[in-house]
Amino acid sequence: MTLKKNLTRALLVLGLLLISVIALFPILYPLVSSFRTDQEIYQYNTVFQLHTLWPEHWTAEAYGALFRDYHFERFFLNTFLVVGVILPVSVIMCSVAAYAFAFYHFRGQKPLYALLLLTFMVPGEAIALPLYQLINGLGLVNTYSSLILPSLANGLTLFMYRQAFKDVPISLLEASDLDGASWFTCYWHVVMPLCVPTTIAMCLMTFVNEWNNYLWPLLAARKDAVKTITVAITAFKEENVVHWNLIYSSSMISALIPVLLFLPFQKYFVSGIASGSVKG
Amino acid sequence: MQQRTIRDKRDRFLPYLLLLPVLAFAAVFKLYPIFYSAISGFHYKGNWSLRTYQLLFQDSVFINSLLVTIRMNLIMTPLQIVLSLILALMVNNTMKGIGAFRSVFYLPVTISMPVAAICFSMILSYNNGVANTMLNAIGIGTQGFFNDKGQAMACVILLCTWKGCGYWMMFFLAGLKGIDEALYEAARVDGAGYFSTLFHITLPLLRRTSLFVMVADTSINLLLFAPMKLITDGGPRGTTDVLMYEAYRQAFKYGNYNKGSAITSVLIVFTLLIVMIQFRMMADRD
Repeated sequence: MTLKKNLTRALLVLGLLLISVIALFPILYPLVSSFRTDQEIYQYNTVFQLHTLWPEHWTAEAYGALFRDYHFERFFLNTFLVVGVILPVSVIMCSVAAYAFAFYHFRGQKPLYALLLLTFMVPGEAIALPLYQLINGLGLVNTYSSLILPSLANGLTLFMYRQAFKDVPISLLEASDLDGASWFTCYWHVVMPLCVPTTIAMCLMTFVNEWNNYLWPLLAARKDAVKTITVAITAFKEENVVHWNLIYSSSMISALIPVLLFLPFQKYFVSGIASGSVKG
Repeated sequence: MQQRTIRDKRDRFLPYLLLLPVLAFAAVFKLYPIFYSAISGFHYKGNWSLRTYQLLFQDSVFINSLLVTIRMNLIMTPLQIVLSLILALMVNNTMKGIGAFRSVFYLPVTISMPVAAICFSMILSYNNGVANTMLNAIGIGTQGFFNDKGQAMACVILLCTWKGCGYWMMFFLAGLKGIDEALYEAARVDGAGYFSTLFHITLPLLRRTSLFVMVADTSINLLLFAPMKLITDGGPRGTTDVLMYEAYRQAFKYGNYNKGSAITSVLIVFTLLIVMIQFRMMADRD
């Protein structure tokens, strides 16, 4: 029995390791290659050998070139600026709406909530073309506003806050009520401090979504002055087909931030997934 | 669940006021585009007409694109569901260090689709890709991958599955954690083996989760765009020309905006159907 158990375990670990290799290779190979010269990548790719996978000489030259010759810093700044506006506005706007849904009774409450959730569940990609016409009609193409405005209201944030608010003990609110506190005091000083985990999870999700967003910024912000990082690296790939180390390094540098955020904050990502959709 | 109310008499208009910003943004940036594309699809040269769709469904490029999209979904979605379920079952234990494997499996999810597409296109490059170098070393020989019309769609599916499975794994993992341990205990006492427990207890209890994953995964796969834009350009010979990419190409490459919108409307109808199902499932749970 123990032999069989040990064997099963060994097989499981072997399987897990194998899948890990598959999961990691498409990330690690580009990462390693971004520290090589173009010449080296090509040279060792004709016949398979150790140096096909492992650099002979490590160099961070490609990263230097990205900032020195191609000014990648402006794409980072653009992205941070856009996300920097979206995050606080979106969190406050959606949590305030969730507050209304969670703590008040009002006419049309249920249909309104259903309508909002349904509307927000239509993915942005599906309406990208008509939205582009709208933004174009408003004369906002190639401005920061075109990137910011459509992302401000967010259904998932609204939904998650309403779920979180339902778990706030009502006695706390009644106590503040007796003290004559305004709705804002209740919201800002009683309810929101209790929902910090939700706020962290939502900020992370919004950040990563915006960072990785592709189709919409591709349509709405094509000029270098407003281009965000994901569009910038894809355009860069199309313009510099031969410089593989540059393409690898630009890809890795844009992947770095979501990965760095994910590793320490893993549990918030997972809590968002688990409570957002699959309960019981 | 009973809703808690505070001061509902004093501030009759307050809740509407609190909702106003979200409602306004939803109306302008979500509802308006949906209705706009729905209505403009039924206009042809200024009149109400079904002509746009008539033309669309006579167009062989559109029909091809529709079939490619449907076929891709029929293969990719079940594949992703089965693989992510297997992954979830593999990491659903208390073995030491299992958390590290979970993180590793989730890692591809944090990479954006465009970055993943760029990396795959270079690894699987026909000319200088490392995959072909390795395949040559073991005697299989050079493959066309994204350049081969028989392999391009398979490579797109490989890319999306690599990137997507970790995400859906987390849903299944949450579902697995929700299953009462006592059921497994009872099965063990009855002498049930691993597979009979799996098929008679675990899978039936994961039905809801699987349904949700299926619907959500379909809606994501339906709108796949980046790999086509960045690698295949819909080719070779239209084998990867999905609807989302065809809509983009018509509108922004050929300047045929009406056709692009009409294709978008078809996509919106598909997504709305999926969203309705998804919504019903969430409402059931509440």
